[in-house]
Amino acid sequence: MMKAFILTIVLTAVLCAQEVVELKQPNSNKVVIKLMFRNGSISDPKGKEGLTYATATMITQGGTKAMTYSEIKDKTYPWAAAYGSHVDKEVTIFTFAVHVDFLDQFYPIIKGLIVTPSFAENDFKRVMKNQQNYVDQVIRASSDEEYSKKSLEDLLFRGTRYQSMVQGKSESVKGITLDDVKQHYAAMFTRHNVTIGIAGKYSPAFLKQLKADLAALSGVKPALPAAEPPSMPNGMDVEIIAKDGAFGSAIFAGTPLAITRSSIDFAALMVANSYLGEHRKSYGQLYQKLREIRSMNYGDYSYIEWYNGGGENMLPPSGVPRTSNYFSLWIRPVQIAKQLKQQYKELSDIRIGHAHFALRMAVREVDLLIKNGISEKDFDATRTFLRSYMKLYVASPAEQLGYLMDSRFYGRKDYIKEMDAQLAALTAADVNNAIKKYWRTDTMFVTIVTDRSEAEGLAKSLKENTPSPMSYSNVVKAGLPKSVLDEDDIVAAYKLNVKNVRIVDSKETFK
Amino acid sequence: MKSLLTFAAVVLAGVIWNGPLMAAEKILPYPIHQHMMANGLNVVTVQFDSPGLASFFIDARVGSRNEVEEGVTGFAHFFEHMMFRGTDKYPRDTYNDVLKSIGAGANANTSLDRTIYHMTGDATKLETMFDLESDRFMSLNYSEHDFKTEAGAVKGEYTKNFASPYQQSYENTMNTAFVKHPYKHTTMGFFKDIVDMPNQYTYSLEFFNRYYRPEYATIVVVGDVTPDRVNALAEKYFGAWKHGTYVSVVPVEPKQDAPRYTHLQNGNIPPSLSLNYKGPAFSDSRIDMPALDVLTTILFSPTSALYKKLVIQEQKVRSLGGGAADARDPNLITIQASLVNKADLQYVKDEILKAIGEIQANGVDEQLLAKTKSLLKYSFAMGIDNPSTIANSLCAYITLTGDPESLNRMYALYNNVTIADLKMAADKYFVPSGLTVATISADAEGGVK
Repeated sequence: MMKAFILTIVLTAVLCAQEVVELKQPNSNKVVIKLMFRNGSISDPKGKEGLTYATATMITQGGTKAMTYSEIKDKTYPWAAAYGSHVDKEVTIFTFAVHVDFLDQFYPIIKGLIVTPSFAENDFKRVMKNQQNYVDQVIRASSDEEYSKKSLEDLLFRGTRYQSMVQGKSESVKGITLDDVKQHYAAMFTRHNVTIGIAGKYSPAFLKQLKADLAALSGVKPALPAAEPPSMPNGMDVEIIAKDGAFGSAIFAGTPLAITRSSIDFAALMVANSYLGEHRKSYGQLYQKLREIRSMNYGDYSYIEWYNGGGENMLPPSGVPRTSNYFSLWIRPVQIAKQLKQQYKELSDIRIGHAHFALRMAVREVDLLIKNGISEKDFDATRTFLRSYMKLYVASPAEQLGYLMDSRFYGRKDYIKEMDAQLAALTAADVNNAIKKYWRTDTMFVTIVTDRSEAEGLAKSLKENTPSPMSYSNVVKAGLPKSVLDEDDIVAAYKLNVKNVRIVDSKETFK
Repeated sequence: MKSLLTFAAVVLAGVIWNGPLMAAEKILPYPIHQHMMANGLNVVTVQFDSPGLASFFIDARVGSRNEVEEGVTGFAHFFEHMMFRGTDKYPRDTYNDVLKSIGAGANANTSLDRTIYHMTGDATKLETMFDLESDRFMSLNYSEHDFKTEAGAVKGEYTKNFASPYQQSYENTMNTAFVKHPYKHTTMGFFKDIVDMPNQYTYSLEFFNRYYRPEYATIVVVGDVTPDRVNALAEKYFGAWKHGTYVSVVPVEPKQDAPRYTHLQNGNIPPSLSLNYKGPAFSDSRIDMPALDVLTTILFSPTSALYKKLVIQEQKVRSLGGGAADARDPNLITIQASLVNKADLQYVKDEILKAIGEIQANGVDEQLLAKTKSLLKYSFAMGIDNPSTIANSLCAYITLTGDPESLNRMYALYNNVTIADLKMAADKYFVPSGLTVATISADAEGGVK
């Protein structure tokens, strides 16, 4: 009797330490559970980059002490229960979704995966083979846009724990052992760094059980390393990644940004950023200038925080809260000289494609905004847009829950609601002050993934700050108004503060 | 419907492979309101509990399937871009300003059989959404220069996509599998036609005249709205839209009589094998498509014997999947495997054929069939948690048959699939003469027989 009493006290103390984010939806037909561990790739030991990713994948693509991976798949098959993990720099999130009809049957599996994963040798071989393949081949050969983004982070955060892709590097992944995974799980996925999120139709008793069961996680207090800031380059530092068979030049540029969603100034920068380059929207200045008027590519955007899966997602997904931040410009692939020469007789003598011009134009747009600020009219329109648009981020229960959990990371309660209030109180002057305070273009890292045939000429043009006139086909050029051509002349000679340009062979990246 | 589900849940609790949804008559637990206007425009409304939020979709039943003339492949998609280039009432800049003012998520996308224009946002701005959309669908007016300029953005989109070898292989697969039908080219179109797009201004006017007509379109509104309000706005803003005269005639693909092969030499990604069999056109009344959905799920999902052997035990394959494409005309049933070693390409193909042969000979276990039906239904039910996904689901079936109720009919048909149907589908569609094999490896040739 006495023992039970003591146990209750201890359990209660443990339970009190757990942070819980609830989203009750009694009309829902499902339950979504998110377990967020304050432990992302920055906790990978040096030389074992990719270990957190391997550990999380082993949990969701392996078995439990009671069931093998295949047995779990067989059991959950008719329920259409879904689960998976997502690892970012500072957090790892496990998401489980199941129809209410099967919650009770699914729950022991959830518990087993998180608290008693099997970490079987055969699962490990399979999981690591795919992770190795991702860092060796997939990132280099499936999307030049994603490649340029990951390469930029590799530059911005060089020498810090933020540098590596969450999947790791070619050499480090080779060195990860099953014992590493087991130790990392015990040290870093513990009851002291987990936040429980739950949405949908569940009972208080269910949540109580979940909380109690998670107390069986390791009792180790994780030694979480601090997130280090990105480095400030000396001027504009350009890395051209040369590969065979690229059809265009994919460009990503970034410079350190001192603030995150935690800051009172974030709402002001959000307005500035939306005006300059709202993701996948045609209203941004970058989109207007590069795509709409000049049809240089598929789109051009700017960011004041990491936007996961930008190539696929129309709205910013939750689950990637970060302490270290940067401001970035995304110029989707523009044409290279080799292609333009083949397509248009009149361009047979061009030396380079559109990358240099596009970069100049994007940087100039930021400079103009820093110099001139946003007008009252544009401020009003952009603020109105954001106050409505942000509500769409949380249109599904899973994303609503995800955003609430991310809010806690930033010391906020409900980011979407709080931003709305902050946007309501903003003035154009606030926005312009924030732009001047936080944005700069004289020091930037730039990564350009391009075809081998383009690399040398582009590097020379950038290094020597050579004028880079826009090379239109005759059919487009004939109809362009003088104002556009005049602006082109300014952009073609616009000085970028380029201090360093190097060409890196694709095979040498992420070493 | 909700109370029916609750009742069913009580009655059937504990029978895992025959969950409550199996008993539901309609997979979509909300009534679908339809209003056919005099000009042939169908208006579909579904009320959904999303306070203050509504999705407004227009499904134009024109896609790359309609690109029947030489030299204009990719035009349906190009035209989707042109729809954002303004009208007399709302020139490009004004259109952007108004769209921005309503704070909606708005975009469009094109596929084989349709082009979808969508907005999701503040339900109180529904009238503005109607105003904007009716204006461009009825009175689009772009300059020849804008037309030529926009072609560059399409080329940029192709350039972005081309970075993926899988996209290149897909392009080759369609070009090989089809001879006459426009499914021969992808929705992006042949690159030579994309480069030539700026010269097709006159054709673009004809394209708009043919297809941007009420009989080709369906409006779908989902969310915090009422059918009466939606129908009234539709009449007000789309009532004057004139019915067209063009009847789209799509060439019929001749029957394939021997296996075909296409190979992409690329050693920078894992070796890949794709087996593409000619499948049926979509139908919500014939058993073939639901049978194929069940069959390919049983054969290639992570619980299948084949997956367990190749991916889990032998680990010769990194990923395996398969399914039949829902399309208006016969399209492909695709089985896709990503391999570890190129030397195993033939072995993996043989193993896939062996697994198909096993079902042709012996059928499947009755319980596995029931569990698979359950999986398909619960997957759908879990996904419909916001207005946009519901509108998308409705559009998928409107595209195929013109009728949103096809969604409910299709899921009801899953109930009728028998083991004999699975054997029938396997015998009928998995035949060598209907196969196109697509491979990617470092070698100059695919080497798969």
